[in-house]
Amino acid sequence: MAGSVIRRIVIVGGGSAGWMAAAALAAVVRRRVEEIVLVESSQIGTIGVGEATLPTLRAFNGSLGLDEIEFIRNTQATFKLGIEFVGWNPERAFFHGFSDFGPDLRGVSPHQAWLRMRAAGDDRSYCGYSISTLAAQLGRFAPPIPNRDSVLGSYSYAFQFDAASYAAYLRAFAEQRGVRRVEGRIVDVRLRAEDGFIESVVLEGGRSVSGDLFIDCSGFVGLLIERALQAGFEDWSKWLPCDRAFAVPCARTGEPTPFTRSTAHQAGWQWRIPLQHRTGNGYVFCSSYISEDEAAATLLANLDGAALGAPRLIKFTAGRRRECWKRNCVALGLASGFLEPLESTSIHLVESGIGRLIELFPDRGFEPKLAEEYNRLMARSYESIRDFIILHYWASGRDGELWRYYRNMPIPDGLRHQIELFKASGTVALYDSGAFAEPSWISIYFGLGIFPRRHDPMADVIDEAALRRELERRARIVTGAAQSLPTHRAFIDKYCRASG
Amino acid sequence: MSELGQRSPHGLRSLLIVGGGTAGWMTAAALTRVLGRCCEISLVESEVIGTVGVGEATIPSLPAFHGLLGVDEGEFLRATRGTFKLGIQFRDWHTVGESFLHPFGPYGINVSHELFQAYWLKRRREGSPSPLEEWSVTGLAATLGRVGSPPLKDPSSALRQLSYAYHLDATLYARFLRAYAEGRGVRRIEGEIVDVRIDPRGRVDSLLLRDGRSMGADFFIDCSGFRALVIAEALKTGYVDWSEWLPCDGAVAVQCETAGDPVPFTQSTALDAGWQWRIPLQHRVGNGYVYSSAHLSNDEATARLLERLEGAPLSDPRSLRFKAGRRTSVWVGNCLALGLAAGFLEPLESTSIHLVQTGLARLFSLFPDRECDPAISAEYNRLTALEYERVRDFLILHYAASQREDSAFWRHCRAMAVPETLAYKKELFTRTGRIALLEHETFQPASWLALYAGLHVWPERHEPIVEILAGGDLKARFEGMREVIRKSVDTLPAHTTFLNEIVTRPPQ
Repeated sequence: MAGSVIRRIVIVGGGSAGWMAAAALAAVVRRRVEEIVLVESSQIGTIGVGEATLPTLRAFNGSLGLDEIEFIRNTQATFKLGIEFVGWNPERAFFHGFSDFGPDLRGVSPHQAWLRMRAAGDDRSYCGYSISTLAAQLGRFAPPIPNRDSVLGSYSYAFQFDAASYAAYLRAFAEQRGVRRVEGRIVDVRLRAEDGFIESVVLEGGRSVSGDLFIDCSGFVGLLIERALQAGFEDWSKWLPCDRAFAVPCARTGEPTPFTRSTAHQAGWQWRIPLQHRTGNGYVFCSSYISEDEAAATLLANLDGAALGAPRLIKFTAGRRRECWKRNCVALGLASGFLEPLESTSIHLVESGIGRLIELFPDRGFEPKLAEEYNRLMARSYESIRDFIILHYWASGRDGELWRYYRNMPIPDGLRHQIELFKASGTVALYDSGAFAEPSWISIYFGLGIFPRRHDPMADVIDEAALRRELERRARIVTGAAQSLPTHRAFIDKYCRASG
Repeated sequence: MSELGQRSPHGLRSLLIVGGGTAGWMTAAALTRVLGRCCEISLVESEVIGTVGVGEATIPSLPAFHGLLGVDEGEFLRATRGTFKLGIQFRDWHTVGESFLHPFGPYGINVSHELFQAYWLKRRREGSPSPLEEWSVTGLAATLGRVGSPPLKDPSSALRQLSYAYHLDATLYARFLRAYAEGRGVRRIEGEIVDVRIDPRGRVDSLLLRDGRSMGADFFIDCSGFRALVIAEALKTGYVDWSEWLPCDGAVAVQCETAGDPVPFTQSTALDAGWQWRIPLQHRVGNGYVYSSAHLSNDEATARLLERLEGAPLSDPRSLRFKAGRRTSVWVGNCLALGLAAGFLEPLESTSIHLVQTGLARLFSLFPDRECDPAISAEYNRLTALEYERVRDFLILHYAASQREDSAFWRHCRAMAVPETLAYKKELFTRTGRIALLEHETFQPASWLALYAGLHVWPERHEPIVEILAGGDLKARFEGMREVIRKSVDTLPAHTTFLNEIVTRPPQ
């Protein structure tokens, strides 16, 4: 059947992943396929608890042609300049922002120049060169100007939004473009006898929905990819043992911060994601080190405002599906794997999965090489993010039983090599397809107090007095730029306040 | 947690470059440019030992290297009798009588490679093929013998896609860089190395010269060519042998008089037991026959090369033997190998000088101090191995995808297995049309497409992306693009006119 185009796409599950896929496919391939169907059951809740994202979401929304202001108003979104990590380094909080530390100085990375001046006795914090960090600390935000050479054009931003509203917003978008929503709970998946491809999904009541390409967005259970096709799961819990989370929204108190906060606790960490109308919170924990009751109590004791409901428990295992694409089924979102939301990568992984599916779009022949290439690329994305998250735990100086486990566990070879290189030279070894670039790795290393044994000898080539003057000049410019921005609240009120 | 390093009291005080061929003097020039007078840089070479100096064609990273050095283009071309190069013409590689061009730079204008490729392949399948090189500004310019400077200040010009490298006289190039480096403080030492002293930690301590002098340094860069006298002879670093995939192990090179104006591209002609290069310079043409000694003797190769020259030979033919592969580690302790000492990949895609350059760039980004921390060399070696393997695979494809069966050599190539990484790429392409990029690729999708198409390797599947992304105006858009390419290239001067303008231009 090579050369025969896909006629029907069936998306299973209507959380953020499902409706993101529906919206993107509606925007890109709808004209070329007969029908796109999304099956969801309103009885099954979605995980969506208030999501923080990466700046890549803006490109995804842009590719759909979404109006940013309208998107923000519809999803109660706030702007995000990065993540503040509290308690991860017992000595001080630190920030991972969506900006770098300035341009190279005569071919030398700015963090190396800073290390050199620090070795010479200067005590300015490296954060002073990060516009996103300073703006976040001041609670300020405005979108960057379209000039990469200016400090005010050198940062990026993402959103913190209500995932359920995002799904609803994308649903309206997709339905307007012809995606058909089918309400119903799936009770069976029928496979073709000859090749094991999915033929149809059977709904409660006996109706069935058939298709050529199935997209499994059914969440952790992996209704199609795992239950029906047994794609297998690579378990990463030896590196990422957290296996539960309690989530609860609370009333907002004070101004919404233009950043997500992650606070380390005894048996995991707590997220705080400010939206326009409320604040999302959750405690990601390891059930071997704390009881569920204690975890829920810890979460409730650490909210800034009154809890809006009872904490909801979510169970998971860190890892990835061995084959995210198997036969005629592509898994997206939690059905494809799970990495705790420490770096807000869940939606990003959905975006990249959708992007690659479109690039490698199959026909009814479902050439297995397409799936192989897709799986190769997704595996690399998952692994690079996994390693980045492991670094946070492994390098934390926090005390406690779980934290000692992290510190002493064997880590993946690639990550070990990266850490050794950084300690030896301050160089960040980047792997392909990494979601996080050099400044991100440096933020975590420095933030957790990992400094190289020595700075780049190339930094010694620059005249010391000239280097000091240049760094002082930069710090002044960055501080001035951050102070010139409006407050986050003022910006939202002026341009994009949600009505509800 | 480790302590924050103090300003290193362990910075390199001295660097010694071993060998003064192209690699050695490139290294000396770049080091002195970047390090200034922070560090004493010396180069030891012997006039009795010749250099290989046949790597005379380059790829477009060389202009960037000259940008780093601050070298004036006209001065460089005058000194090296160089010409411009827009790509490589491959003759008789698919079958005898067929040729194709591998131009530098992308195909199309303001279009992703994926969409361009899908569209071009679709038109071909529909029975309307068009020459691939006509979709590349650089390719069309090469075909028409035109060259010009990319108009950096005009972002809307299609000529910004123009990408060029050079053909140069490697001996003159080494001399040019030597003058540059010596002028900036590099000390040249004439002498023949007779021994390498290793300290108890296994680090290089010093080199002993024939006249009894001993040369010590904190760091050594082995540019001694195939001999690899520090990295291999003294440090016993092994070699990864790739001759099962790249069977050519000999070359004979000769210069000849030029017949006609130099073309702005290298020519590579497949012969019975290998291939022949032709590199046009201002004053002569460089030629060579890269062959497999299992299929042809050196005498036969020499005779065959001489009878194929377009003009009278200007030198005695020189023979080389080599083995395709790479050093298992190019950086060991306080010794880094660059150039032929680091590995050998035949000059089929003119990568020798490029690999020296990237080796230098990598050295600057992972610059050592006297401690030479093994974590740093481990990263250097990891990246180098990946880079060599990617280039290796691209070279192997030239042989593995040829349809020639007219000699034992070509039958051997057709029958040989290829590395898994290449097998994956080729199968992915033939089955899906997708060009996979692995970690650390030198050659981008446009180059892979040039080669696949030139060797008639076609995808079995029509990529739906072109249907998906395409509006009805796709054909109009592409025809418009082709017209813009044609008109833009038409404004370029002839190669010799442009070359003359550049070499007579006062330094800028």
